[in-house]
Amino acid sequence: MSVFRKHKSIVDRSASDRMRHKKKIEKAIKESIKDVIAEESIIGQNGKKKIRIPVRGIKEYRFIYGNNEDNKTVGSGGQHPLKRGQKIGDKRAEKGKGQGTGSPSDQEGDQYYDVEISLEELSEYLFADMELPDLEKKQFRFITDETIKRKGYRFQGIRPRLSKKETLKRKIRRQKMAEKNGTHDPESGERFPFHKDDLKYHHIKPKSKENSAAAIFFLMDVSGSMSQDRKYLARSFFFLLYQFLNHRYEKVEVVFISHSTHAARVTEDDFFKVGTFGGTIVSSALELELETIDKEYHPNSWNIYTFYCGDGENWSSDNEKCIDLFKEIKDLSQLTGYCEINEQYKGLADEIDAHNPFHGTPWGTFSAWKNEEMENLWAKLTPICDNTFKKVMVGETSHIWRAFHSLFGGNKG
Amino acid sequence: MTDWTEAELMHWDDKICRVAEDLGLDWHPIDYEIIDYQEMLSAMAYVGLPTHYRHWSYGKEYERTHTLYNMGQTGLPYEMIINSNPSIAYLMRENALYIHILTMAHCVGHSDFFKNNRMFGDTNPDNIIDSFKSAAKYVRSLIEDPSIGIERVENILDAAHSIKYQVPRFPGIKYKSRDQLLSLEKLKMIENPNYAPDLSKVPLAPEYNILRFIAEHSRDLEEWERNLILIVEESSKYFIPQALTKVMNEGWACTIHHKIINELNLPDSLHLPFIKLHNQVVRPHLGQLNPYHLGYKLFEKIIEKEGFEEAMIIREVHNDISFLRFYIDQEFLEEMNYFSYSFKKDKKMITIDDISDDQGWEDVRSELIKNIGLNRIPTIFVEEIQKDNTLCLSHEHDGRDLDLAYATKVFEHIKALWKDKVKLMTIVENEAWEF
Repeated sequence: MSVFRKHKSIVDRSASDRMRHKKKIEKAIKESIKDVIAEESIIGQNGKKKIRIPVRGIKEYRFIYGNNEDNKTVGSGGQHPLKRGQKIGDKRAEKGKGQGTGSPSDQEGDQYYDVEISLEELSEYLFADMELPDLEKKQFRFITDETIKRKGYRFQGIRPRLSKKETLKRKIRRQKMAEKNGTHDPESGERFPFHKDDLKYHHIKPKSKENSAAAIFFLMDVSGSMSQDRKYLARSFFFLLYQFLNHRYEKVEVVFISHSTHAARVTEDDFFKVGTFGGTIVSSALELELETIDKEYHPNSWNIYTFYCGDGENWSSDNEKCIDLFKEIKDLSQLTGYCEINEQYKGLADEIDAHNPFHGTPWGTFSAWKNEEMENLWAKLTPICDNTFKKVMVGETSHIWRAFHSLFGGNKG
Repeated sequence: MTDWTEAELMHWDDKICRVAEDLGLDWHPIDYEIIDYQEMLSAMAYVGLPTHYRHWSYGKEYERTHTLYNMGQTGLPYEMIINSNPSIAYLMRENALYIHILTMAHCVGHSDFFKNNRMFGDTNPDNIIDSFKSAAKYVRSLIEDPSIGIERVENILDAAHSIKYQVPRFPGIKYKSRDQLLSLEKLKMIENPNYAPDLSKVPLAPEYNILRFIAEHSRDLEEWERNLILIVEESSKYFIPQALTKVMNEGWACTIHHKIINELNLPDSLHLPFIKLHNQVVRPHLGQLNPYHLGYKLFEKIIEKEGFEEAMIIREVHNDISFLRFYIDQEFLEEMNYFSYSFKKDKKMITIDDISDDQGWEDVRSELIKNIGLNRIPTIFVEEIQKDNTLCLSHEHDGRDLDLAYATKVFEHIKALWKDKVKLMTIVENEAWEF
């Protein structure tokens, strides 16, 4: 005779282990995001676009066999006729499925969690550990209260917030899986009902923002030397900056100024798309910015951010003027970033890692610069660098995140 | 809502036990815990153990099962039983009566297997729950100790888990400390004056129990770190016999539940869904090995040819490797339509290597055995500790290369445990490779 016990535990014993696991996943998401941000598909999108981020599962490593040809797998062919040499797949089947060794959890191969998040959530992950360099409190032009925003989905919720779309999606997904695994036959006409676990609810969250209005000036060199590749890097960089500031301020206005030998205020579209031509006079853009600030964005009510992207080339006669204008802008802005884009800086990332001279003079060990030290804008800007004026260099997409970090990372960078 | 009462469960349990006794089975008494879906997920994450030390990997396992279940990929857990005396098994409250009947009959089969198969001889089922409980308590005390904390505990557990299967492949091989080994060697030297081993070598012979070896010989481990490693090694010992007999154990339990239920004279309303469920459990998985299917079919064949008595002996003396090597023949493989396949690098595709015909079946059989249980885990052993305290490990290469990405990570884990230099020798694409 066996014993039967009705067992009702009050404590959810796996809760703490699940939480530890979740923390590890979140960390992995944050790490993956850094690879995702430079991808074309998310750049230039508005906040509503959903981004899928593949997050590597937290693996438990063991010694396992690799996939050399002597490592054969055996399986059952069911009713299918089989021939030697017959092709049955393109990639290696996931190892260990259905062949228990008593601990199936260790058996998966590469496991990905596909996390779908909105740009807004992405920004939140990205910028969670960033410090906003807002140094002085502004007299706010827009006063905002707490607002309630829809934000993601939850498994628990009240009926009125049921998300029919998400719920249906989950049901369909479950149904497809069931069909694939043979536990549900679509031909049979059997109903495939909703399950409690399909239900998803909108989640709402009150949001309050401290600072409300920011004006961002994006200045870019569109002279002949700015190739498509360089512009693409600039665009990625601006995009990230925009997302970040947008994330922090209720209202963000962006002013795009492009320049070659003279500057013009342009639309976002033109800013990134219009072809490149002409020589380079950086000061023209700086002058236009100051003019615009004076007319439309008084620093008392606007948090002003200025970011300049160029390839470092400038008429040498213009350099002195630029320094003065940059100083002026620096005094008006919360933060001024000067970014040089040049694919020649590729491969310098390692050097950076070795010396980690992120603040002040990044790439300081780059010998090419040392030689013509006094001739370029980069070196001349060094004296005015401090907390509110920073220089960064970008040579390839992977540098964008570093550059960003050195701008906003505070001391954590 | 449930379609059964506890009285009904007892009624059927009583009948099941009587049929099982008539069959000559001998099992530990079984305690059934009736639990809900959430608790079942937890129970599964902790491989059925009522207490287990904390580790995030169990949280991961919970989420994984939960996700798979949500996606319809895994069915409801039918059975979960642990090798203890009494055996503890779980019944999920949401399941229908016929599932419970099948589960209970299935559990009798497992418990009988645990009690009789010789691989389980050293598992100590009377105390296993207590020893897991005290391990859990110890780990908790370390986590709560402000001078240690969860991060450091996890680092050691993560590392120890990475080599938890690097222990002797057969139960009953007791780990011998260096002193014990030395005194054994000295005895041999007295008996045979010509015997002159190199006693300065550590270890004297290749050591397969890496966890124990590290715990004994690592110079810089703190006491609690050493204890954690031993806890992991101890719990491996509990799982190794199960890994060695997965196919047999499941095959036997399926054979038993099928036999018992056919004797129960279930009404059609219970019997028909039972047949459907049974067939689902023992169906072949295309391109994979379903241990339920393989074990059940092989026992079925043996009983058909040699009778149930013979099967009773087999369930006592064999493990998966000997069981498959002994009883699989061409006829069986052909019927099961097993085939071997591998990834061809040059063509970038998976193709079939061998099928179970006249020329191929023996190869298929030996590949199949290579893919069973612990044979799927590479064997690594301790070669020696060099003068400068470098720990030298070697991989027993059997044609299958290590996955280097994984091996590199495990190598780091071993270094973290050894706290000094480590070397690992293997063969990659026919050339010697050193980590």
